[in-house]
Amino acid sequence: MVEAPPAVDIRGLSKSYRIGHLRAQRRQAVHDLSLRVPRGVVFGCLGPNGSGKSTTLKLLLGLLFPDSGSATILGQPIGARAARQSLGYLPENPYFYDYLTPNEYLDYAGRLFGLPPGARKDRTRELLDLVGLAEAADVHLRRFSKGMLQRLGVAQALVNRPELVFLDEPMSGLDPLGRRSVREIILRLKAEGSTVFFSTHILADAETLCDEVALLRGGSLVAKGRLDQILSLDVTHMEVLVSGLGPQEVSGLPAGVETFRAMGERLVLHVPEKELGDVVVAVEQRGGRVLSVQPVRQSLEDYFFAEMGHPAKGETWTAGA
Amino acid sequence: MRRVAAVARNTFRESVRERVLYNLLFFAVIMTVSGLLLGELSIRQDAKIIKDLGLAAMDLFGTLIALFVGVGLVSKEIERRSLHPLLAKPLSRDEFLLGKFAGLGFTLLVNVGLMTGGLYATLLALRRGADPALLKAVFAIYLALLVTVALALLLSILTSTAVASVSTLCLVIAGRYSDVILNLGDVVPGMPAWALRAVMILIPNFRNFDLKDRVVYGDPVTFGDLGWITAYAAAYTGTVITLAVIAFRRRELT
Repeated sequence: MVEAPPAVDIRGLSKSYRIGHLRAQRRQAVHDLSLRVPRGVVFGCLGPNGSGKSTTLKLLLGLLFPDSGSATILGQPIGARAARQSLGYLPENPYFYDYLTPNEYLDYAGRLFGLPPGARKDRTRELLDLVGLAEAADVHLRRFSKGMLQRLGVAQALVNRPELVFLDEPMSGLDPLGRRSVREIILRLKAEGSTVFFSTHILADAETLCDEVALLRGGSLVAKGRLDQILSLDVTHMEVLVSGLGPQEVSGLPAGVETFRAMGERLVLHVPEKELGDVVVAVEQRGGRVLSVQPVRQSLEDYFFAEMGHPAKGETWTAGA
Repeated sequence: MRRVAAVARNTFRESVRERVLYNLLFFAVIMTVSGLLLGELSIRQDAKIIKDLGLAAMDLFGTLIALFVGVGLVSKEIERRSLHPLLAKPLSRDEFLLGKFAGLGFTLLVNVGLMTGGLYATLLALRRGADPALLKAVFAIYLALLVTVALALLLSILTSTAVASVSTLCLVIAGRYSDVILNLGDVVPGMPAWALRAVMILIPNFRNFDLKDRVVYGDPVTFGDLGWITAYAAAYTGTVITLAVIAFRRRELT
């Protein structure tokens, strides 16, 4: 049996932009990037702002043209209509026609996929329910908040029940409820067998959702792989939440307490795993109470800081939000 | 074709919702006021003046829409990136561009159609009869508007919106005074004939589409004349749109 081609296969993709007043200089946005994204996974393209994530997506969608290299999407070359029939795309900070309503915009998107009228109507209703915009279905988009536009952006990316969805900073502009809803949508897409390729500079999102990640910096690939391959699964230390102790009393605890921080009237102690028993006993002897003990492993954020160090010139990024 | 129609439909809806057709109000005011005033002032000439005014207003308002809406037709989409999610769907750049052109073309057709209705209504209200020959001038005006949209579209893809607006306006004005260009050899002695000819071919000859005086003053306009200007408009618009398609295919959408 012939194996299905990967969802995305990038080979040596490079892209530079002309910059400066006379456009005489060039800035390398993506440099010799090679990636394979298998089908059915949630793939995170991570990196600070300006690291080449959005440029990579635009190259894959044929909005920009590469200087060199090539890529295939669902086994088809970039720009092939057959591939775009099975794609969904949410751009970063999307702008949709503000004279339309969500109903009208999704109907328009459905027409571009050649959906018949009945299917367009059903799919529109279904998607607006999914992203929580059913009640605003007939409100003009000029009255929408940034978060509502982002939700509509997610909805329009799913009109055709895509096999592969590109989401560029999908959590941008969303409130906590909206972010949760998008996270659930991404997981649902995965459960339905779709591949989700999303770019983000919010590491917490990637850690929660991704099966595999690629880290970009300055347009180059720094690391790629499954999260469990990239991150150490060993416990680095324990976090002990205690009450009934003041910061001044921490100095009297066994030497195992590495650091601590106040959280309201409680304290969070960072303790090596082997010192945990002694620290717990000592806390209780001093009239304190251990509320919880949590093992801490290396996070993507730790890895990111370790690999990337400080952001390069022109880059900004967020560890969590 | 289905996708071109979807883009055209949306472009027409945009024009209506962005109040492009509000110019019809000005046209209605011009027709009403001129009807009221001129009907009192002159005998027999009033119908000609109303026809003249009506056709001129139709031409002016149509040209302004074709030029300024035409320039923003694709460039606004590039600037706002509203076309990014669309081009990620199975919609080619060619289809998008043709849909935008067709959408504005249809908007102008509705605009010209409603103005023509208004012009006939004014003439009938003044009991001056509905001269069917007017439709020939209206048809020619509409062809000129399509040429203007094509030019605006091409220039807006090649340059910035501001430069495209100014250069399209210059071409429209130059095209309306193409007889001056014909005599450019007298003004610039030594200008080679081939250069003159090249300028004449490059600049759209909008004088071809000006049938207003001929229709208003009763000079005959044959179907042969109409066929010739239709062929000219089709060739010019077709060439310009083809160039626009080629330029848009190569345009990077950052």
